[in-house]
Amino acid sequence: MKRLRKERVPSLLEERLTRGKVYCPQWVTGRDLMLVPLGEGFYDGVLGKTTIGSKMVLFPQTEPMISFRGETIAMITESQEVLLFGIRPCDMKSIRFIDWFMSRDNIVDPQYASRRKGITTVVVACNEPPSATCFCVDTGGAPFLENGFDLQLFDAGDRYIAFAGSQRGEALLTNGHFEPPEETDQETVEVIKQQAAVSQERKPGVKKALEVLRESRPDSAFWDGLAARCLCCGGCAYVCPTCTCFNVRDHLSEEGHLRCRTWDACLHAGFTREASGHNPRPTQGSRLARRYEHKLKFDTVNFGEPGCVGCGRCSDACPVGLGALEIIELLNGW
Amino acid sequence: MVMGSNTTEQHPMIASKIIRAVTHGRSKLIVVDPRNIPLSRLATVHLRNRIGSDVALLNGLMHIILKEGWEDRNFIATRTENVEQLREVVAAYSPERTRDITGVDESSLREAAEIYALHKRAMIVYAMGLTQHITGTDNVKSLANLAMLTGHVGFPSTGVNPLRGQNNVQGACDMGALPNVFTGYQSVTDFEARETFEKAWGVTGLNDKPGLTVTEMIEAAHRGQLKALYVMGENPAVSEPDVRHAIRALKRLEFLLVQDIFFTETAQFAHVVLPATSFAEKEGTFTNTERRVQLSRQAIPPLSGTMPDWKIISEISSRAGYSIAAENTSETLAEINRVTDSYRGITYDRLAESWGLCWPCPDSNHPGTPFLHEDRFKRGLGWFDGKEYSPPAEGPDEEFPFVLTTGRVGFQYHTGTMTRRDSILSREAPRAELKMNPADAKKLRVKEGNLVAVESRRGELRLPVKLCTDLPEGLVFGTFHYSEQNINELTIGALDPVAKIPELKCCAVSIRRAQ
Repeated sequence: MKRLRKERVPSLLEERLTRGKVYCPQWVTGRDLMLVPLGEGFYDGVLGKTTIGSKMVLFPQTEPMISFRGETIAMITESQEVLLFGIRPCDMKSIRFIDWFMSRDNIVDPQYASRRKGITTVVVACNEPPSATCFCVDTGGAPFLENGFDLQLFDAGDRYIAFAGSQRGEALLTNGHFEPPEETDQETVEVIKQQAAVSQERKPGVKKALEVLRESRPDSAFWDGLAARCLCCGGCAYVCPTCTCFNVRDHLSEEGHLRCRTWDACLHAGFTREASGHNPRPTQGSRLARRYEHKLKFDTVNFGEPGCVGCGRCSDACPVGLGALEIIELLNGW
Repeated sequence: MVMGSNTTEQHPMIASKIIRAVTHGRSKLIVVDPRNIPLSRLATVHLRNRIGSDVALLNGLMHIILKEGWEDRNFIATRTENVEQLREVVAAYSPERTRDITGVDESSLREAAEIYALHKRAMIVYAMGLTQHITGTDNVKSLANLAMLTGHVGFPSTGVNPLRGQNNVQGACDMGALPNVFTGYQSVTDFEARETFEKAWGVTGLNDKPGLTVTEMIEAAHRGQLKALYVMGENPAVSEPDVRHAIRALKRLEFLLVQDIFFTETAQFAHVVLPATSFAEKEGTFTNTERRVQLSRQAIPPLSGTMPDWKIISEISSRAGYSIAAENTSETLAEINRVTDSYRGITYDRLAESWGLCWPCPDSNHPGTPFLHEDRFKRGLGWFDGKEYSPPAEGPDEEFPFVLTTGRVGFQYHTGTMTRRDSILSREAPRAELKMNPADAKKLRVKEGNLVAVESRRGELRLPVKLCTDLPEGLVFGTFHYSEQNINELTIGALDPVAKIPELKCCAVSIRRAQ
């Protein structure tokens, strides 16, 4: 355990730039809090919930996988030291989820694995929910973590109280900007934890929704009713911190060709349409059903926890108010 | 009331407001459209009128409203004139006659009339499903009649609201990119307006004669009267009705200049092509469908060899012998402020620190005008102008028994110049199709995916069939996103006499199974 005075954060981040990239929540064009490289936005000390989570860094919107020209084919991977500073506990949970997903059944995704290797995570626990759509507690999470991070910070006013969760975190704590703790710090953290644990008001009922999906499976009329509102924009999947489905496309040019992958969304018809034209999920209702069965039911079976971390980003992004928060509530009422 | 607009697919952000209002029980929704559209599933009442019967339908609604005494007498008395003429016209549109013309039964019509007339606030949203007819102007005038008759104009959440099809089509019109006006709709025939601009630009003898609309230009080129054409960000070789005719006309031009961000189908006929920068590579303002002027900033550096449109125009002007004074977009906006009353207070500094301002905004302290016609109409009192129904230019007959309507799908934009280059958008809507009701397909002995030959008096096209229960029998639907199978080879060039908009929403075709 150590202390980090908030006024030291900018210098700490600047210093880390000499070792590699630094990402932290910054305001871009004045309105959106985004996880972007230090200096690409405006850092004002607010480490709130970014519009898109750490997926932006670990699994970029578009990334090259293979370059090819003539007879030469080469895999492209990126590996460098990256500090993710100020991500939220739900973000960290989603990284753990993707870690599992990208290496399940011993099949490792090389682009993800090499990028992940260089990443040091600094989580800031939530004293109170950063937004009105937060419901991580209801999904089985918490506004602070017990493990899985490199470093976790608790906000104690003018300073953070820092705990290491890994050797990498321990190493980071040796940085001169961190100061020794004082006696009261442990107690301060306990108080923060107690208050944080009860501060979250949104409880849409993930458990009950899971039971509904498991046992009674809402009929297609339920999903078709929601589909009448869905704009099919795919925004919920793009901002979801655990969604990693992608589409592959070749970018051809005279200098050399690139095979790239780009975020995709299961709400699009073409996502499941087969070459014959047959689509096993032929309607928007069936695609919505698939999405939530996957996130809540099958991820729980395969991963042990829901694929929804309760960050509420889909509910923030959805133009018609049909994010996980609302759909879980509706499943409870079914 | 949403009429002639597939809002969910074409204006999704506006649709999201409608969807939220309806699903939260705050609003009732009336949809008027021959097709089932996504919004009709949420509608309290859906009037599926025959295509091209909008004036009759609206007159039928007003007939019921007047008969039941649901009109707003106070609004009519204080804000309008000529209501007697409207009464005379709509008297002839009894529910029976309206049903015979439109195919809409009396009870649905009555329900819609009651909902629209008797709610305190009611707004009309319409798009090109209403305007792309030879009666487009009459259709919009009839909507205006309905709104004035019920007092649903001049208050928040009311009015007759056109949804513009492109992010800056409102701005382009505001800036006088029309054949008959300067900025702010100041007529070229108006001496004072000409004087304002002559003074501002330091010239004399500005032309006082209105020019030609796009579709008229094509005709003039065909006749050899139009020699040169400068096309910016438009693709008439795909988007014009009766497009084979339009292409022949483009080929007759002595000089065609195309300015675009991609090499379009129209550019293939050009003598000179000037590469422009995209929106993300330049700075300037856009004026959206609610008349909101917004500043758009440069996000990425421009590709080498390209220039922003304003710069290209300025350079051409210099070479033609007139040097445009404005050297950047903020100076251009300052000039707009000087010569346009409705934009006078929409200054660069104010836009930089806001979500934009809605015109009219007459001075730099004015907050902008979120809705129009609050105390008076532009002409003073609102003028009722009742219109008689007249059928589309080309109805179905024995030789061409189907009606073809055209439109867009949500995943493609206009002629596909931009969206067809994106892998996911193209995957979602990969190819041209002819949508038809399964009953029609059965009669034609075709199945989904079968090729059919679709023929109109203008041309013939082969398209795969897509079965679609959202279309009534007898009506088929195609899009103009795909230049290689362009539905505009079939559409008709008949024009609305006032607005000169072509009747892209309706023509007659025959369909047979292709080998």
